[in-house]
Amino acid sequence: MDPFEYFEPRTVEEATRLLFHFGKRARILAGGIDLIPRMQKGDTEVECVVNIQKIPGLEYIEPNEREGLTFGAMTKLHSIELSRIIQNRHAILYEAVHQITSVQAKSMGTAVGNLCVATPASDVATSLFALGARLKVTGVDGEREEPIEKFYVDYRQTSLKQGEMVTGIVLPNPLPGTGMAFLNLLRTHADIAKINVAVAIVVQNGICREARIGIGAAAPTIFRAAKAEALCISQRITPEIIRRAAEAAADETRPITDLRSTADYRKEMARVLVKRALEKALEMAQG
Amino acid sequence: MKKEIANFKINGRPYEVIVTSNMTLYDLLRELHLTGTKRSCGVGQCGSCTVLVDGNPTLACSTLAIAARDKEILTIEGLAKGAQLHPLQQAFVDAGAIQCGFCTPGMIMMAKAFLDENPKPTRKEVSEGLGGNLCRCTGYVKIVDAVLAAAGAMIKGGNP
Repeated sequence: MDPFEYFEPRTVEEATRLLFHFGKRARILAGGIDLIPRMQKGDTEVECVVNIQKIPGLEYIEPNEREGLTFGAMTKLHSIELSRIIQNRHAILYEAVHQITSVQAKSMGTAVGNLCVATPASDVATSLFALGARLKVTGVDGEREEPIEKFYVDYRQTSLKQGEMVTGIVLPNPLPGTGMAFLNLLRTHADIAKINVAVAIVVQNGICREARIGIGAAAPTIFRAAKAEALCISQRITPEIIRRAAEAAADETRPITDLRSTADYRKEMARVLVKRALEKALEMAQG
Repeated sequence: MKKEIANFKINGRPYEVIVTSNMTLYDLLRELHLTGTKRSCGVGQCGSCTVLVDGNPTLACSTLAIAARDKEILTIEGLAKGAQLHPLQQAFVDAGAIQCGFCTPGMIMMAKAFLDENPKPTRKEVSEGLGGNLCRCTGYVKIVDAVLAAAGAMIKGGNP
């Protein structure tokens, strides 16, 4: 690891100004569990590290009955795992975090950092797709909010513009009749997912009003299976609907073959996991 | 920042050290001859270099030294009180939870953070709590035994 310029801004404004000034040569340091090993291996050439750990007010979990639950850029994965309200209301986020084996990674690492790494295999990000998460982004020109599916542009590429940083995540409160499920396949617990699926549906009077199906590690970015969702909406969710939605979802994947799986296997498992996740979510929605 | 004088508090003792931006917390501990902390994988995968920073289990290999300045750093050297071993250290000795010993400091520091949060764990919770620490000798059964024994001792004798 070569020496670099190092800054500890005390405000978001100061951080965004530094990020704007250094552009692509700068990296944000939050938990460091991705960035520092990457820099040590020489994968990433970094001239400037902007450490946001000293900015007050970025580490919180704040429920709000109207707008939903918000957490900040420095909120640790471990705090999310321990939050009762997340365990109860946004259970698939808890599940995606809880199954991460390294307690150190969860104690150091942040959920926002996990999102900004933009790996298509992130379990945390896939669960946030199903939860309808919105990202709070601040740049030199001000603030904006963006739905998570707009955030991922391509493999390891986000929509962040020069000088922008994610300051927090908003999770809408689940509507009555919501059911959700998170499933993934791993070779061992400590490995990265071969594929992951998160589903949230809203069923009112027996009819599916909303459906969000997130799929990870099966395309250059995590994505929502829009065709599969459309097959569920305004329908009574029958085994036949689930079968067709699962097939549609598998069709929407664009997987690759790598050391963890073949493309064919990933496509087939997308079908299996979407089917199982819809069944589980339906059971919860009706329970 | 090329070089900078920074203040650190390690095992209750203040240090003033010249650091460079690219120095990790692990490098810093080595430079101070606190060699109990072990680096194994060096890329944040094995848990061997775990220390506590403000009580949180932290991978020293994946932490910038400069980012840890002014924080409370606790390493394996800070656990014993003179010749009196910490209950976790004593339990690891008693249970034979050490084979080659290289993962032991990281295991014990992680176990300390874990027991501070969950003083009465089940066996499964201990396994999960040590999920980020690898033992290449695969001596996990005795390591979990030791942490459970230490939990019992610390409930009786107090958490030092």
